[in-house]
Amino acid sequence: MSINIFKINEELREFIPQEVIDLEEKATWGNPKRGVMDLPYAKELLEEHSLCAGCPESMAFRYILASLPNPEDTIIVNSTGCTSLVFPHIALHTVHSLFGNQNAVASGIKRTLEWRFPDKVKDVIVLAGDGATVDIGLDCTLQSFFRQEKITTICFDNEVYANTGGQESGTTVQGHVFKMAPKGKQWPKVPMWQLAIDSGCHYVVRMSVSSPKKVEQVVKKAIYVAREVGPTYLHFYTPCILEIGLNSDDALMEMRDKDKERFKFFEYVSPQAEEVIAKKKEEGLL
Amino acid sequence: MYYVAKVINEECAKYNCKQCTLFCPEPNTLMYNDEEHHAYVVYDRCKGCALCVYVCSDLLKRNSIEMVMAESLEEKGVSK
Repeated sequence: MSINIFKINEELREFIPQEVIDLEEKATWGNPKRGVMDLPYAKELLEEHSLCAGCPESMAFRYILASLPNPEDTIIVNSTGCTSLVFPHIALHTVHSLFGNQNAVASGIKRTLEWRFPDKVKDVIVLAGDGATVDIGLDCTLQSFFRQEKITTICFDNEVYANTGGQESGTTVQGHVFKMAPKGKQWPKVPMWQLAIDSGCHYVVRMSVSSPKKVEQVVKKAIYVAREVGPTYLHFYTPCILEIGLNSDDALMEMRDKDKERFKFFEYVSPQAEEVIAKKKEEGLL
Repeated sequence: MYYVAKVINEECAKYNCKQCTLFCPEPNTLMYNDEEHHAYVVYDRCKGCALCVYVCSDLLKRNSIEMVMAESLEEKGVSK
C-alpha cells in the first residue's frame, strides 16, 4: 500500500528480472494525471497475460490500469471468470474471494482502510465479469449500492459465460444461441446500468471499450466520485470473440458496430457527482 | 512457426498517430520510439492477433504494419 513496495533492494538488484526493474523505473507512479497516452512509452502495470490473442477484455485492462489516478494506493477486488486469469499478472494489490461476493469483500476492505488510514486516500475497485456481477453476485453487488459503499464497480460484459464453454448469462441478448445454450435465450438482457441507477449509484456508464480516451475519462470520473460521494458503476462491453465466432482481429470492429446499437454511450451523473466532477475539472485532473 | 506483427518503419515514420500502440491488447508489446518517430513491436510478447493491422490498414489506411512469420525475422527480441 505504498510506492515503496515497488522499490528494489539494491543488494538484490542483480538478480531481479528486467520486467520488475522496468516497473520501478519506467512505470508511472504518483502522478494523478497519468492516462492512456502513457501507454506507448511507459511500463504498464499489467505483465504478459493469459487471455486469448485479440481479446477486448485485455484492452480494457490496459486502459483501466493506465487510468487509475492513484495506483500505488489502489486495491482491486476481482471475481471468478476470464478476468481472474489476469490478476496474477497485475502489479497492484488484488483480492480474489468467492464467485459473486466481490462487492461484499470490497465493502469490508474499504471500511477497514478508512478506519486504519483516515488521512490517506485509498481506492477500492471491483473488476468482475457479467456472470459475477449480474448473475451470481447480483445480491452482493446491489446490496453494496444500497449501503452507499464508496467503491467503484466495473463490469466486463461479454454477454456469455465464455470461460466455461458458452452458457447463457443474465446479460445475454434475447434469442442469442451459444454452444451450451442451443435453444437461444428466451428472456431479455438484464439492464444492469439501470438497476445500478435505481439502487443508488452516483455515476453510471454503459459503453464499449473501443475508445481508449473515453475509457480513461469515465474510469477517472468514477473513481473520484466513489472517493467522495458513493458507489459508482461502469458497464463495459468486451465481446468474447471466440464464443461469437470472430477472428482475433475483429474485436474492434465488433465493438464499433455495437457502439451504434445496444452499447451506445450512456452516462448517468447524480447532482452530488456533478459537483465532484466539476471540482476535479477545475483542479485539472479530468 | 507463428505470425507476429512487424512495423514498416519508413511508412510509420510519415505519421505521428500511435493508434496501434493503444489498441494492441497485449501490454508493452507495441511501443513508440520518439527519436526515430515510429512504432516498434516487442516480438517476444506478440500473440499475432493482427488487431494492429486492422487499425493501421483498415481504419486509418496507413498500411504501416504487416504480419510476418516469427522465424523470418532476422533480429531477435525487441526490434527498434
